[in-house]
Amino acid sequence: MTKGKKIRTLFMTMLMISSTANSGYAILSVVISTFVRKYRWITEEEMQDYVALVQGAPGPLAINISLVAGYHVAGFWGAAAAVLGCAIPPLVIMLLVSVFYGLIVGNQWVRVFMHGMQAGVIAMLADLVLGIISATTKERKWYPCLLMAGSFLFAMLVKGSSLPLVSACILIGCIMYLRKKGGEKK
Amino acid sequence: MNALLDLFLGFLRIGVMAFGGAYASIPLVQREVVDVNGWLTYEEFGNLLALDELTPGPILINSATFVGASVAGVPGAVVASLGSILPACLITMILLWFFRKYRKLEIITEVIFAIKCMTVGLVSVTILRAISNAILLSGGALGFDPVMVLLTAAAFLVIRKWQTNPLIVMLCSGLIYSLYSLIVS
Repeated sequence: MTKGKKIRTLFMTMLMISSTANSGYAILSVVISTFVRKYRWITEEEMQDYVALVQGAPGPLAINISLVAGYHVAGFWGAAAAVLGCAIPPLVIMLLVSVFYGLIVGNQWVRVFMHGMQAGVIAMLADLVLGIISATTKERKWYPCLLMAGSFLFAMLVKGSSLPLVSACILIGCIMYLRKKGGEKK
Repeated sequence: MNALLDLFLGFLRIGVMAFGGAYASIPLVQREVVDVNGWLTYEEFGNLLALDELTPGPILINSATFVGASVAGVPGAVVASLGSILPACLITMILLWFFRKYRKLEIITEVIFAIKCMTVGLVSVTILRAISNAILLSGGALGFDPVMVLLTAAAFLVIRKWQTNPLIVMLCSGLIYSLYSLIVS
């Protein structure tokens, strides 16, 4: 596929994904399904690295993932196409919905449909988590499990921003690196 | 013109601090939109949150669109949305540049590994909250909703075993549940 075609594909795919998926992780899941598994433009491991990378950035996961995936596939214009494709649907849909607010919020079938969608959302999130767990516990056991459990507890107990957690994990990562280096010197 | 600038700057401020996902962003948006600028009342903000539930898209863009539109129509919505995602794009680009340049460094690999593990913890909480909302709270007599449990299990199987596009699975589960509700009611 030529670069130009890739850029168009990025835009159209993100447009479609962003119109229906209702959370950043849902969008991530479809991005993986499309760009990693279907088109094979990004490897699974690279994608997981990107997900970890964007944890350090503010803003919606959907936008950040679109940006990195788009850049990976087709440079600056790929990133731009992906971000635009991601940002336009919520803009348009929200504009329409806020006009017809009364009609839509009152409609019980919209609620029922959204409720049913949650089953798919849960399944999709579980698939994502299992993928990362199997990737991280391939060579090490107790360290990743401990970190996962700790992060889980933190997220359960602390309602606000996860920024302190991200900072702590960056620190832990550095410490583990130094331990490794220290061990090698022996 | 002033209104557009205010919108842009206001949502730029929110965008810079928007770490930690939707739950963390909501109070930020509320502070800027209701308290600082008075663009919405508390009640209108509540409406916004309800709409955000129903529409796709991140709370940041949804609130920017909603507020921007009510203050200055379509241009307001566009300008506010732009301001909200600009910090994200810039910082992500910087992170990406660092990553591409230094990815071979082992320390980066270690840090990324740690953050991957953290992501598992975070997403697990999201999963639990979703399960509690979608399967348990709507339980009725049994305390949980058996149809939703079946649907979730089926969706998981389809995604895991057959690698189906999750989007299709989500839309189908929504459809199936709607049909079920239609039949039962």
